[in-house]
Amino acid sequence: MGNSSELRERCQQALELTKKHGADEVEIFAQTAQTVAVDVENNDLHTTSSQQETMIGIRAFVNQQVGFACTNVDEDLETACADAVQLAKGSPRDEHNLLDSPLPVTPVQEIYDTNAESFSAADAVGQAIRILELAESIDKRIIVGNASVSSNLVERCIANSRGLDQFERSSLFTYFALTTAKDGEQVSNMAFRFDASHFVRDLDVEPVIRGASADALGSLGAGRGESFLGPVILTPEAVGPILGSLITFQLNGRNALRGASRWGKALGNAIAAPLLTVVDDGRLAGGVATSAFDREGTPCARLVLIENGVAKSLMHNAYTARAMTASNTGHASGSARSIPGIGPSNISIQPGDVRKDDLIADVQHGLLVSRFSGSSNPISGDFSGVAKAAYLIKDGKLDRPVTGTLIAGNAFEALQSLSGISSETERVFASTLPYLRIENISITAE
Amino acid sequence: MQELLQRIAAKSEGWIELRFQSRSTKQIAVRNGELEESSSKRIQGIGVRALVDGVFGFASTTDLSETGILRAVEAAQGAARTSARAKKHHIEELAQATLSTGSYPLQTADPLDAHPLEEKLALVMDIDKRIRDSGDVIVSSNVSYAEIQDEKVIVTSDGACAHLFSAIPEFRTMAVAQKDGEQCFGNSSISVQGGWTELFSIRSPEEMAEYTVRMAIEQLTAPHPPGGTTTVVLDPGLVGVLSHEAIGHTVEADIVLGGAITLEKMDKEVASELITLIDSPTSDHQPGATGNLPVDDEGVEGRRTTIIDRGVLRSYLHNRETAAHFGVEPTGNARAFEYSDAPIIRMRNTYIEPGETSLEEMIAGVDDGFYCCGLGFGGQADSNAEFMFGVREARRIKKGKIGELVRGANISGNAFDVLKSVDAVGNKFQWDLGAGTCGKGQAAKVDAGGPHLRCKATIGGRQ
Repeated sequence: MGNSSELRERCQQALELTKKHGADEVEIFAQTAQTVAVDVENNDLHTTSSQQETMIGIRAFVNQQVGFACTNVDEDLETACADAVQLAKGSPRDEHNLLDSPLPVTPVQEIYDTNAESFSAADAVGQAIRILELAESIDKRIIVGNASVSSNLVERCIANSRGLDQFERSSLFTYFALTTAKDGEQVSNMAFRFDASHFVRDLDVEPVIRGASADALGSLGAGRGESFLGPVILTPEAVGPILGSLITFQLNGRNALRGASRWGKALGNAIAAPLLTVVDDGRLAGGVATSAFDREGTPCARLVLIENGVAKSLMHNAYTARAMTASNTGHASGSARSIPGIGPSNISIQPGDVRKDDLIADVQHGLLVSRFSGSSNPISGDFSGVAKAAYLIKDGKLDRPVTGTLIAGNAFEALQSLSGISSETERVFASTLPYLRIENISITAE
Repeated sequence: MQELLQRIAAKSEGWIELRFQSRSTKQIAVRNGELEESSSKRIQGIGVRALVDGVFGFASTTDLSETGILRAVEAAQGAARTSARAKKHHIEELAQATLSTGSYPLQTADPLDAHPLEEKLALVMDIDKRIRDSGDVIVSSNVSYAEIQDEKVIVTSDGACAHLFSAIPEFRTMAVAQKDGEQCFGNSSISVQGGWTELFSIRSPEEMAEYTVRMAIEQLTAPHPPGGTTTVVLDPGLVGVLSHEAIGHTVEADIVLGGAITLEKMDKEVASELITLIDSPTSDHQPGATGNLPVDDEGVEGRRTTIIDRGVLRSYLHNRETAAHFGVEPTGNARAFEYSDAPIIRMRNTYIEPGETSLEEMIAGVDDGFYCCGLGFGGQADSNAEFMFGVREARRIKKGKIGELVRGANISGNAFDVLKSVDAVGNKFQWDLGAGTCGKGQAAKVDAGGPHLRCKATIGGRQ
């Protein structure tokens, strides 16, 4: 990687060029990513790759009209700056199109490992080989259909015409395994596990391949399910697509501003069982998405989204905060390739005080859902889909694996009928999620 | 650029592939009358893949000078050497293929660049207003236009040298309706490979707006369907999704080798004899398909591939590596989305051949079932061909007549079982994947479609 001054100079250069072309306010977001990756296909190493790219994103404001352009070509920088200004001039005026004045940013620790600079393709290959060796030692029926180990060194720099000038460097190792188990004619469901770390010392592929192997093996020999209305226990992997997407959509300031969120006008109201507390923390120690500042340079912070079942706050960027007369929560998301959106960073559902096994022990007749393959509509709340690697629960115990079982319900209602949260949590991408027990879910065997 | 890449490829020791891509995209998005995005992107670079000691290495660069490209070649070769010792199965050779040396200009009489930003912005604003003006019950609207224009040069050290241009515009509408605190949404999208006129040749933006509003409003009062396995009539949109998502991925040769259910099914009956499934590099039956690909990213000329012929599995989809493994000819399915992506096996235009039954006859033959149209929220399929797709519009069929709308329906099953249960294939064909993008680690613009099908599947509902 270069040094901070190179990317900073590039930002300042773009800022001046955009002003020269007629912008009265300008924001430049630049990002350099250097990646080394090894892909595994079908129980064998496949492609090893190395890449580096610098992308510059230019947001030009002309009389509160906005245009955006980006480029990864050095020679095209001035053209991109001129394009952003042209696009702004052709856009309708919006009184909320203004930049925020910069706020002081406190750097975050523990997101950059200098050892990552010397992490080579050979090191990545070594980790990929470990995934394959572990899979073989766990069970010969496991096929690692796809896996990857990658090292990502990222530099982000943001500058604007109001004097903002921030730089951050981070390292992130990401690794996943997608497995199936095959036993004669029987093929299991696909199983997927992912993890990440900022430090070389924390890179550990073993839990990923062990988890993916256990899930795939567990769904071998699954039988027909049963149809009933009853409780389901969602693993952390299944919580995200059913409830996580609804929560982040409904508490997105932009959706609230545009009338697409029923929670937008329900802050302070109970929208879930009192057990539920949801927090987003952009400065979480060790978090995958941890950063000192967001896509607009606003400091990241801890934000309580739902507390004891009550909706407490929306996530805002500068635009929605101004338009809704609220505080900017530092949730501008996205890369240098796009205009700032809104999204969570390290979101977590706070753990409960019941062990996962005790959640199961209280269920007479229910279903454990390890993965959800379906749809969850964040506007109506309706969800339905296939329960993957699912187990029937009978008399407080996992009875047997089942296949072809559909679950359906409404996520708004599911949040109200939440009856248990485990004390154990797992990291799913940038989220930290516990096991949840939800009552009265429609379960249908095919 | 073409000559420079050829010169570098000619001097290379061992096989290399050099792929220059210059991509220009534009995006306009409006919500509730407010412009949310007006943007342009220019992304350019070269992806280099090298085969050294039977292993692929890949590198990419934005430095387009000869020195920059040579540095990327060295990086790709170095990456390959790094893993050569540990790789279990070395690639002995790449399959022989018909490599392209042609030039493929844009296929449209009405290029996107001939239409200024003002015109596109005005259309997006107008359609957004049309949605909002459709009634007090509409509380949110969202309309967007996007276009991707590509220029590619693909050169390989064994003789490919192709120069390609493509343009893909897309248009999307969305509306949220609200009543008694409850919200439902409707949506529509369309995309083609071609120009401005072609984009709206199947349905106009006004028709998309009308459909979007109607779906949002009707869903507010629609009941949830009962769950269970039943007779369904699928429209070309869902037939396309089934062909692509549930069957197509299981015949991508890399997925096959990863343990897909299709590994044991070659030359076996996998569907009703009424079913012939194709993956094609061209817009068969109807123009404008989004996945047109005359030459793939390994420089291989695309060829129409019959995956299932009258119910029998006959071919997987290949790149040059898997074609060599299976001892067959490559099918032209190696694709990379951007210069910084290494080519992997992807579909193009995937469809079921039309048959002889009219939609009216199909519906008339259903005593109790569902008419399912278009992909709704979400969808997923497994390598064992189990799938689940949200349905955009599902209506009851009772005693041969289409009836009430149901809300939040999805359809699921094992795709091969569903195709075995087909007892009627429609006589009208349509590409209808909307503005769909396929994801497999990297994106790809694909299309899919077919005629209507009548079959058995499970409708997800409530107990």
